[in-house]
Amino acid sequence: MQTEVTELLNIKYPIFQGGMANIAEHNLVAAVSNAGGLGILAAGGLNADQVREEIKKTKELTDKPFGVNVMLLNPAAPEIAKVLVEEKVPVVTTGAGTPEPYMKAWLEADIKVIPVVASVALAKRMQRCGAAAVIAEGCESGGHIGESTTMTLVPQVVDAVDIPVIAAGGVADGRGFAAALMLGAKAVQIGTRFLVASECIVHENYKQLVIKARDIDSVVTSRSTGHPVRVLRNAMTREYLKMEKEGKGFEELEHLTLGSLRKAVFDGNIKEGSFMAGQIAGLVHEEQSAKEIIEDIMQDTEQVLKKFCN
Amino acid sequence: MLEKLKEMLADQLKMDVDTIDPEKNLKDDLGVDSLDLFEFVMACEEEFDVEIDTEEVSNFTNLKEVAEYLEKIKG
Repeated sequence: MQTEVTELLNIKYPIFQGGMANIAEHNLVAAVSNAGGLGILAAGGLNADQVREEIKKTKELTDKPFGVNVMLLNPAAPEIAKVLVEEKVPVVTTGAGTPEPYMKAWLEADIKVIPVVASVALAKRMQRCGAAAVIAEGCESGGHIGESTTMTLVPQVVDAVDIPVIAAGGVADGRGFAAALMLGAKAVQIGTRFLVASECIVHENYKQLVIKARDIDSVVTSRSTGHPVRVLRNAMTREYLKMEKEGKGFEELEHLTLGSLRKAVFDGNIKEGSFMAGQIAGLVHEEQSAKEIIEDIMQDTEQVLKKFCN
Repeated sequence: MLEKLKEMLADQLKMDVDTIDPEKNLKDDLGVDSLDLFEFVMACEEEFDVEIDTEEVSNFTNLKEVAEYLEKIKG
């Protein structure tokens, strides 16, 4: 399937793998890129030297285009921004703010910048400052989320900008992909289904939680702090939500979640970990290689579209 | 300038203009989140025909500061 996005980035399939912090490292990223999608390294949680190391390892495993996701709230973001230029990374996606301070340097280095946006105003601003495309991410996604759903955000962003829009949040199979195309998206970004890819380094317990998750198993914590996060329900989220209801302050809440993503990813600590995953986890049933996942989704999408056209 | 900004923000937040105190904290007192803030900044850019530097946006704590900044860049 060719779209404006596959042409823009020189990739085979219009599928991005979300740059999940502490999770999307070189093995998964290279596997996705080798399979024809766009693997995206997560710089979130890393310092500049670690990011450089991850980029080098990815380049050893693939000669296909890949991206790096920069969490702009990361204190190391200015240093990481320089590394991306030095390493000539083909694509940069950004989250948690606006990448404007880095745009000039990135564009001069021929980096395609694709910010994640959660509103129309931000999408317009990103187009104005030179973004090659935007990722419109709905609140079905796992991790840090905005307020709008994918169903409502994508078509409104598509109407507001002239650059291609990538839909994210709630897509895990061909039906979701086809729906995103109907909304005007030119590609999709998928996180949750890649959590259970065989190349993904998350703890086996994490994968099992995603595979066993039902439709109602994700919740949103941290609304009270202004930084809502979607995670799978466990003892930690129950305690967190209780404390939020009791009006506990940021520091007490922060104490509960300190290091909790690492507890989930590396220790598989079912009770205390922060198992970030999207609402679509209920649709993810098995571990497969990144290649199988991508080819499965592409075949499924084409069948869905064909059936629809008939 | 400040009166116009109060009107614009009140309109965006669906609040009574009299309840917008320009010295109150945008985030903590008026409940303006980061998406609201960018919405407001984009509206200001359109209204006053200016471009607002992103690094300034994160420095704005209240409406008075937004007004002072806009007056400065408009010259």
